[in-house]
Amino acid sequence: MTTPTLYTVSSYLILDSKGNRIYTKYFNPPFSNKDSIITKKNNTNGEDEEEYNTGLQTNLKKQITFEKNLFKKTHKTDSDIIIFEDKIIIYKEYADVSLYLVSSDLEVNECLLQLTFDGIKDALELILDNGLDKNNIQEHFDMCCLAIDESIDDGIVLEYDGATIASRVTSPPTKDSAHINIDLSEKGLLSAWGFAKSKLAERLQQGL
Amino acid sequence: MSAYKKKNENDISSSSSGSEVPDKMSIYQDCLKTFNESPISPKKCRLLLAKLLNILTLEGYKKSFTTSEATTLFFSVSKLFQHQNNDSLRQMVYLVIKELSSISEDTLMVTSSIMKDIQSGDNLIKPNAVRTLTRVLDETTAFSAERLFKNCIVSPDSSVCSASLVSSYHVLPIAETTVKRYGTEAMQAIFTPKKVSTYNNNSSSSSSNNNGDEGGSKFYPQSSYMSEYHAFGLTYKLKNNDKIALMKLIQNDFNSLKNQFLKVEWIKVVGELIYKDSSLFSNFEQLLYNGLYQSYEAVKLEIAKLITTLIVDNIAPVNDQLFGSVLEVLKQFLVVPRTSTRFASVRLLNKLAMVAPTKISVCNPELESLINDKNRNISTFAITTLLKTGNSSNIASLISTINKFTHDVSDDFKIIIVDAIRTLSIKFPNEWNVILQFLIDSLKNSDGGIKFKNSVVDCLIDLVQFVPSSKESALENLCDFIEDCEYSEVLVRVLHILGDYGPTASKPSLYVRHIYNRVTLENSIIRSAAVVALSKFVIINGGNNASADPTLAKNIISLLENIKENDVDDEVRDRSAVALECIKENHPDLIKSSKTFDLSVLESKLTQYVTNHEFDSPFDTSSVPQYSEDERRALELKRKQDEINDKNSGDFSSAGKKSKKTDASTKNNGSLGASSSNTTFEQRAKIIHEYTEKLYEASIIPSDGSSKFGKLLNSCGPVPLTEPESEFVISAIKHIFQNYIVLQYNIENTLTDSAVENVQVEVNTNTNKTSNLVFDSSTIIDQLMPGANEQCYAIFEKTSESIKEEEFSNILTFVTKEIDPATQQPFAGDEGFDDEYEFDPLLLTCGDYLQPLFTADFRQDLSKLSFGDSCVYNIKENITLQQAVDKIVLNTNCLPLENTQFIMDESEKHILKLFGKSCLNDDIKIGILIKMIKSSKGIALKAEARSNDQELCSDLVNSLI
Repeated sequence: MTTPTLYTVSSYLILDSKGNRIYTKYFNPPFSNKDSIITKKNNTNGEDEEEYNTGLQTNLKKQITFEKNLFKKTHKTDSDIIIFEDKIIIYKEYADVSLYLVSSDLEVNECLLQLTFDGIKDALELILDNGLDKNNIQEHFDMCCLAIDESIDDGIVLEYDGATIASRVTSPPTKDSAHINIDLSEKGLLSAWGFAKSKLAERLQQGL
Repeated sequence: MSAYKKKNENDISSSSSGSEVPDKMSIYQDCLKTFNESPISPKKCRLLLAKLLNILTLEGYKKSFTTSEATTLFFSVSKLFQHQNNDSLRQMVYLVIKELSSISEDTLMVTSSIMKDIQSGDNLIKPNAVRTLTRVLDETTAFSAERLFKNCIVSPDSSVCSASLVSSYHVLPIAETTVKRYGTEAMQAIFTPKKVSTYNNNSSSSSSNNNGDEGGSKFYPQSSYMSEYHAFGLTYKLKNNDKIALMKLIQNDFNSLKNQFLKVEWIKVVGELIYKDSSLFSNFEQLLYNGLYQSYEAVKLEIAKLITTLIVDNIAPVNDQLFGSVLEVLKQFLVVPRTSTRFASVRLLNKLAMVAPTKISVCNPELESLINDKNRNISTFAITTLLKTGNSSNIASLISTINKFTHDVSDDFKIIIVDAIRTLSIKFPNEWNVILQFLIDSLKNSDGGIKFKNSVVDCLIDLVQFVPSSKESALENLCDFIEDCEYSEVLVRVLHILGDYGPTASKPSLYVRHIYNRVTLENSIIRSAAVVALSKFVIINGGNNASADPTLAKNIISLLENIKENDVDDEVRDRSAVALECIKENHPDLIKSSKTFDLSVLESKLTQYVTNHEFDSPFDTSSVPQYSEDERRALELKRKQDEINDKNSGDFSSAGKKSKKTDASTKNNGSLGASSSNTTFEQRAKIIHEYTEKLYEASIIPSDGSSKFGKLLNSCGPVPLTEPESEFVISAIKHIFQNYIVLQYNIENTLTDSAVENVQVEVNTNTNKTSNLVFDSSTIIDQLMPGANEQCYAIFEKTSESIKEEEFSNILTFVTKEIDPATQQPFAGDEGFDDEYEFDPLLLTCGDYLQPLFTADFRQDLSKLSFGDSCVYNIKENITLQQAVDKIVLNTNCLPLENTQFIMDESEKHILKLFGKSCLNDDIKIGILIKMIKSSKGIALKAEARSNDQELCSDLVNSLI
């Protein structure tokens, strides 16, 4: 029986059709400093040992092997959920990307894990309205990162409602604020004046 | 400017189309340059930040930038804080700062900028700011965030509140006191519904994506009340050690909660409370029962999980009504379209199947339909669960059901099935013919690779070994199989089995014919294996025993002669020559040895021998225990039974996990004194072996075995002699030598502030009768620091060979010295004070003189033993039948046969069959039949023992418990 904890997710992965990384995030509770202590201790002993000692959550080499093996195990199997290396993993494979949500242990509630997974998936689908594929994800990489950040915060599920997650993700500015449309109506002039005023204040604040 | 922008756009397309990693250093330079521009271009900045994130993802945090590079980056990113009123950029800045804070130094410098945003920023940015703030705080600055966090928790906005609660949760390890100060607000947040804001999430520039959707979001978020879940999680952590406060919290109305994450967490806390105090279960029964009829799948599942673990770990008695409802829920889950739910349900059923197989059988139709589920995990769980629900009456139909489904599945999966069948064959030895038929069918079936065939042969070997009645039929079928088997490796194994078991079968000539066929038809590897098998027939049949068939032996010898003359292969001719020579010179042991070494001990001794470079003296095999055929089988059967048990109790999982578990529990046993019923036989054997090594290391007895002690006959234990939480945790192992008895006390000092010195155990025999043990000597532990773990020994000489029960009273004497917290050593000059500590007496019973022994036919062997005795016990303690069985098995050291060490289905009656032999004399055997009935008054036992040694027989029945 594990003690109740909010830390239920250990990583979120987006891999491409060959099992290479597109997006990966391994969650570490920020102040459970076990790994960093080991790292500090070993920095004096050379890097090799560090590599050997740190776990999956921080060790890049182990992560890559984990991802490759996971991909091999799940590619074209259409199973939705598997137990892999003592973790429950929910996944979905699209044409050229696969999404994976990795639980932190075997005790996790599968239904909640599925809800979390679906939430992120829905959010991504809403954001990338051209469909979930590799190109689209890479083109809107910032938004995907934000969406996942809004769903899981270092292992704690923040939100599972896809629309809520998506609504919190800002789209990139389409134009630089310097290129503002100048509208010569009274309202436009007023807004231009307001803009100039705010710009000036900003400059002054920056100490120019 | 426009040219620059163009270049950037090219960058995107190149990075998105190709798999090439964007050039790290050029982006690094770009970042420094662009972020310091004035005015900055938000669009370009956000693009660069995205690329930065991409690099961090692809190259890993530790590898992408050095600390100084990261710090420089961090600093220039923080410049972007000066750019106000652009949420789109700001959100990205926060994300990057969060990521960089783990590799950069001096992260504190952005604290004030972030705090300013939390105070005055809009609701879109606030949560991001709060969550980022946690990453730049440390032990010394965490307190400064108290007011901000508190304000955010009471905010009506769900995201802001969640962000603050989650951040508080993160900082708990470094700032629990700070967080405690707003614990009340956190608790109130559990029951305060918050709303979700809609944002104009397109920054300051006009919206282009949001076609005409003025100011609002294009999505329609619904409140999911997640902040209540986070508030509950935080409150639980803060009240973790306060049972009354938790109870009060849990008393709130469960049904009014809206968030399913919260409800699940709620159930988990209920479970935690029940685990700590099982008497609370009745308080929550109604809550759990009602919860099963709620609409959320996740909640129902969590309750089912909780009840399953309560049943499996035997924490609290679950009434039939509740159990029935759980099964109903799980049964419904088995047919839902959502894979994860089916998966969760079948996983739980698999666990339940081990404790209550008959009750699970109501789900059998659904389970059967899952056998060819597209998810391999589900189908595997379904099959293993089904097989666990098997009992002697439905095995046949189960196997035929499985048979129907297994044709179009992969080999890996078939191996899992065969493994499951193998456990069945050990569990239900009487159903061997159905199982054998299944195995033979799958063996002869043309599909399946070598791994699969090998596992089937493994299973058949088990069947032949442990279910003697199946032997003849299994061997005959194996003979048929080798007529057309395409894998040499498998063929060689089969020949080996035939050689081992064929000679004692009723018609050995049949096997000889099949084996000789191989000699004429197959390659040299198989031919040489066949030669060895043939020679075994000669050894058995050429001897003087009753079943010997001299004509057969003579015939085989002429066959071997023939092979020796005519075979084309050197190895085959050599082997036949060696075999013939051994037969002629009468060295049967060279072909078929009657004893085998304990391989793990042999291995460790050999490694020791090689690493110590003691090549002057030859390796001494006498210190390695040897087993006769029956003993070896007893050990193997015990190991396999434990394996089944082990597999049942946990999830089926990777081998890695299993070994980890073993390690953990070994450690546990070493230090805490095992709670023996939970450890498997193999683990116990390992622990005993480790301690025996220590015995030699401590040079209490010389390891060459030639000393006055005589041979080590048996080691038993460890027996815990104290409560696991007392100031000294002590367990003992009894080593029985030919002439001596050595008691090994394993003492752990659990005090944190004092060391003890001159530690000695005062041991006295308190048998009233004249004891046949004379105290010889004991050892002293010089110093035992806090947390340390050492052994001390008491040695007794035996005055006669015969077995007598002994009770040793134990008093620990020692000198306590306080520890100087500065040096972690006792204060210099502190003389300490003498103290003593009395702990439980240690019993030496005749069970300690016994070793497990396998027998194929318990009833028949029992009738061969001439002396009998019986005894009746009445156990008043409130223990379950299983606990009683575990205790008896442990006390008697005998081998439980026919799977009688497991109680099926909480039944009230049980028959336990045990068999063993004396370690003093291999010919003294003992069998015990124990009938047990559980009633409200306790457990009544009737034990009948038969042995060829009258004294042992009566001693044992009288010391069962």
